[in-house]
Amino acid sequence: MREQPLKEVTQLIHAIKMGLVEGSYSITNKTLDIFKYIIMSKSWDSADALMQIVRAQSRILQAALPQETVTSNIARRILKLTREEFELLQAKVQHFADDSQASLSLHKLVTQTSESCVSVDYSVPQQGLREALLDHLQEVETELETSSENISVQAEEHIHSSEIILTLGHSRSVENFLKRAIKKRQFLTIIVAECAPACRGHNLAATLAQEKNVEIIVIPDASIFAMMSRINKVIIGTHSVLANGGLRAACGANTVALAAKHYSVPVIVLAPMYKLSPLHLCEQDAFNMVGCAEDVIAYDSMPARDAKVYSPMFDYVAPELVTLFISNAGGHAPSYVYRLLSELYHPDDLEL
Amino acid sequence: MSQYQKEIVQAVLIADNNVWNFKPLSDEGSTALLPLVNVSMLDYALIALNRSGVEEVFVYASLYLQSIREHIKRGIATYASWSFKMTVHVIGGEGCRCFGDAMRDLDAKALIRGNFILLGADTVTNADLRPVLEQHKRMAKFDKGTAATLVFKDCVSSNERTGNELLIAVDKQNTRLHYHQRLRMNHKESRYQIPLDVFLNNSCVTLHHNLLDPQIAIGSPSMLSLFSDNFDFQTRDDFIRGLLINEELLDSRIYVALLPPAQYAHKVNNWLSYQLVSRDIISRWAYPLVPDMGVYKLQQQYVFYKDNIYKSPEANVSKVALQENVVIQAGSHVDAGTTISCSVIGANCRIGKNCQLNNAFLMADVIIKDNCQLRHCVIGPGAVINENSDISAGCVLGAKCILPANTKLANTLVTSSPSTQRTEELEHVELEAIGPAAYIVNDQTTGDPDDSDADDHLMPQLTTLCIPKMCDLQNAAHAESDISYSSDDDDNEDESRQVTPLPDDTNIFLSEVIDSLTRGYREKSNPDFLILEINSSRYAYNMSLKEVNFNVVKAVFAMESIVEPANGNIMVAINAVFKQLGPVVSNYIKSEDAMMDCLKALEDICEENKLVQEKISQVVHYLYDKDFVSEDAIHKWYDQLDGEEHATLRQSLAKLVDWLNQSSEDDDDDDDDDDDEEEEDDE
Repeated sequence: MREQPLKEVTQLIHAIKMGLVEGSYSITNKTLDIFKYIIMSKSWDSADALMQIVRAQSRILQAALPQETVTSNIARRILKLTREEFELLQAKVQHFADDSQASLSLHKLVTQTSESCVSVDYSVPQQGLREALLDHLQEVETELETSSENISVQAEEHIHSSEIILTLGHSRSVENFLKRAIKKRQFLTIIVAECAPACRGHNLAATLAQEKNVEIIVIPDASIFAMMSRINKVIIGTHSVLANGGLRAACGANTVALAAKHYSVPVIVLAPMYKLSPLHLCEQDAFNMVGCAEDVIAYDSMPARDAKVYSPMFDYVAPELVTLFISNAGGHAPSYVYRLLSELYHPDDLEL
Repeated sequence: MSQYQKEIVQAVLIADNNVWNFKPLSDEGSTALLPLVNVSMLDYALIALNRSGVEEVFVYASLYLQSIREHIKRGIATYASWSFKMTVHVIGGEGCRCFGDAMRDLDAKALIRGNFILLGADTVTNADLRPVLEQHKRMAKFDKGTAATLVFKDCVSSNERTGNELLIAVDKQNTRLHYHQRLRMNHKESRYQIPLDVFLNNSCVTLHHNLLDPQIAIGSPSMLSLFSDNFDFQTRDDFIRGLLINEELLDSRIYVALLPPAQYAHKVNNWLSYQLVSRDIISRWAYPLVPDMGVYKLQQQYVFYKDNIYKSPEANVSKVALQENVVIQAGSHVDAGTTISCSVIGANCRIGKNCQLNNAFLMADVIIKDNCQLRHCVIGPGAVINENSDISAGCVLGAKCILPANTKLANTLVTSSPSTQRTEELEHVELEAIGPAAYIVNDQTTGDPDDSDADDHLMPQLTTLCIPKMCDLQNAAHAESDISYSSDDDDNEDESRQVTPLPDDTNIFLSEVIDSLTRGYREKSNPDFLILEINSSRYAYNMSLKEVNFNVVKAVFAMESIVEPANGNIMVAINAVFKQLGPVVSNYIKSEDAMMDCLKALEDICEENKLVQEKISQVVHYLYDKDFVSEDAIHKWYDQLDGEEHATLRQSLAKLVDWLNQSSEDDDDDDDDDDDEEEEDDE
């Protein structure tokens, strides 16, 4: 039997489809609100029942919006939280008599995993789970809110005075990061590739140009390679980070990354933790999203009748082209992403 | 106060337009529910409205009301993307025969409270209509007589004609519509005829000859009442034409908005445009109304592969079979050796081995057996095509048709049973059976006489069939250019269509005056009332005083009792009429000029009425005697009469004029002489 979607979920899907909710951050925020509402108001008596509901709803979200991986990511976070809190409470009850601290010791955890993980029965009703979860959700929310800020404080460590920075398109993380750098460092030159056909790079250039002491240059995408030789660092945002450390980023990112590789320019990717998804690039065709043909070529042109017109939204950037990820938890190499993922999500939840 | 509440954006969707063009499938279900790339056309229109921020929609349907209602209900239950923040009402009635009836019914129901968006259920558009709505509101504030804003889209000149193309003349400054002409299918004009008034009356006019009418309009509340007031408005074109002709009388104006190039809009009004729009949707020109965006359902239905292939994960088909521009729904199964290109395949279809499908549009549950060839055809839901069949060139198969093996069809409409025809008894006989559940529909003779008539005009020589069908688009473009320059009789027909004999206002005025006078004479009514009646007719037809004088006299002499006098004596008849209607005539014939008009009318009457011609001198004398005309006027008129043309007239009048000359010399005898003359007449 198929699960019925909640009203909130269908509304969110509609809002995202209509473009009323844009950007990973607001989508994540809205999804978190829905799950918070589920935990608070839905009738569930055990951790297992709650996890069923969360899984079902996130499956619906995923089926409707396969490209928006952040919704699944946040669902996995919730599932992991539920497991943790449940085990913690169980452990408290079980070991309350002998030693409450003992269950949490490293030694105990290592020795326990093999049998306890299998044996944990989530369907047992547990008192206080709801409250504990809501408390913990508060932490996740705060983490979300401060993620952009936490990333941008690291700007000083990476950008130095009179450097030339190249970026692509318009990412909110990058915007904050650069603004911070402009405040702290002098004589920066920022080159923005416009990222056709949406040309969101123009917006970024316009907002950055309001700052003082900085030179902003907007270039067409075609000149990325030509400009690369004089660039000190490439800083880009991304739509999501895949399990192998590769990127699903705005179209044009691969051009930038390859050019940077050719000139040995470091590529720094700003990716808050919620963009890390435990997915691999499997089917090349289904990975992308293709936009409106009108953006590429006019409908009223002769070749438009016979040509197949593609306007892809994303590029895949291989992990070896990325030098460093900066998340709200600090800098990581692409090869370290798997470790972050195993910390963030429970292995049983990778498949929703 | 209620009127200060936030205004809800309302929209009206008219379903069941162009029923005739979608034969035979239109006989089996609503055309609004016809799937276009596996999503019904109604859904496209609803999504377009939802994207434009419409909050309340009235779907107006006349046929298959129940199935549309169920479709809407189902859509809401399955979270169709239009069901958010938008309420949909299905209304309609059996009595509604045309677009105009629908508008009148809406006006009667008083559901529309303000400016509204008017859309055909067969419109596919990704346009955001909010800016157009704003433009309309601004215009309505500025010009109270704004009836509607029509939305047009530039069309591709290389594209085939689908009957939606227009030529319009627009005021460049205020985007007001001055001229509107629908261009004909299968015809490339080498010249256009535009009335001179358009240029004489307006300083700045732009002509657009490459526009597409996607049937989108923004209507003012007055638009509905205009439909109610003018019950002869049948279609949207009638409305536009009526308003353009009588814009001063109706005090309403139409404005025009053009969609920006990035926004797609097209109307699906026949199979040809069905094919065109399907192609455009598949090649993503109507983004985000593309198959893989989950336009209708919540879940995504397809995965997008390169070469514009949209394949449902639940469809069982090898990638090799799909060549390009293919949409294949869940549950369909395609066997080995089959190739499919530029086609749409509905849910749960089965396609056998070694088939070739090109531009084939399969609806749900179609079964195609091995070794079939399908090109440029539409196969209705549940149809079965047996082995080795060849279907091509615009064939349309109705629902549940079963074609026997080895059938070859081209350019044919097929329906599953003779009884599904909704037309007259005659057609039942004409249906030719080609299988147990397959009958050929002759689309030349069936259907609405008006429509077929219109179509005959539209495509006189190209094909034997009336419904525009699918075809190879490239070839069609070439074929068209060949035809366009070799049709002389066609042009003649064009002219005859252009110069429609407008009923002459003068003639109508004259006949109305005759009517009033005859009635007044018969009923002996008060001459003042008759004068009032004539005057109101005069203003209705905008007659000058001269014309009125002329026509009133003419009308008096055109009355039955004078044209056919009782005992052959015309003077008695005239005397009787003037006794009654004298005050009416004398009301108009006062000045010297008016008398001249009166006499000129007499001159006219002489040519038509032999009796008057014989006794013209007596008639004139009678008028002189009763002081309708003066002596000077008669002299002047007599001098003006052409010697050659009116020789007989001059001859018969000569005596009278002589006598008048004499009598002016000795005024005293005047009266006696007159009496004598009259006595002679009576004898």
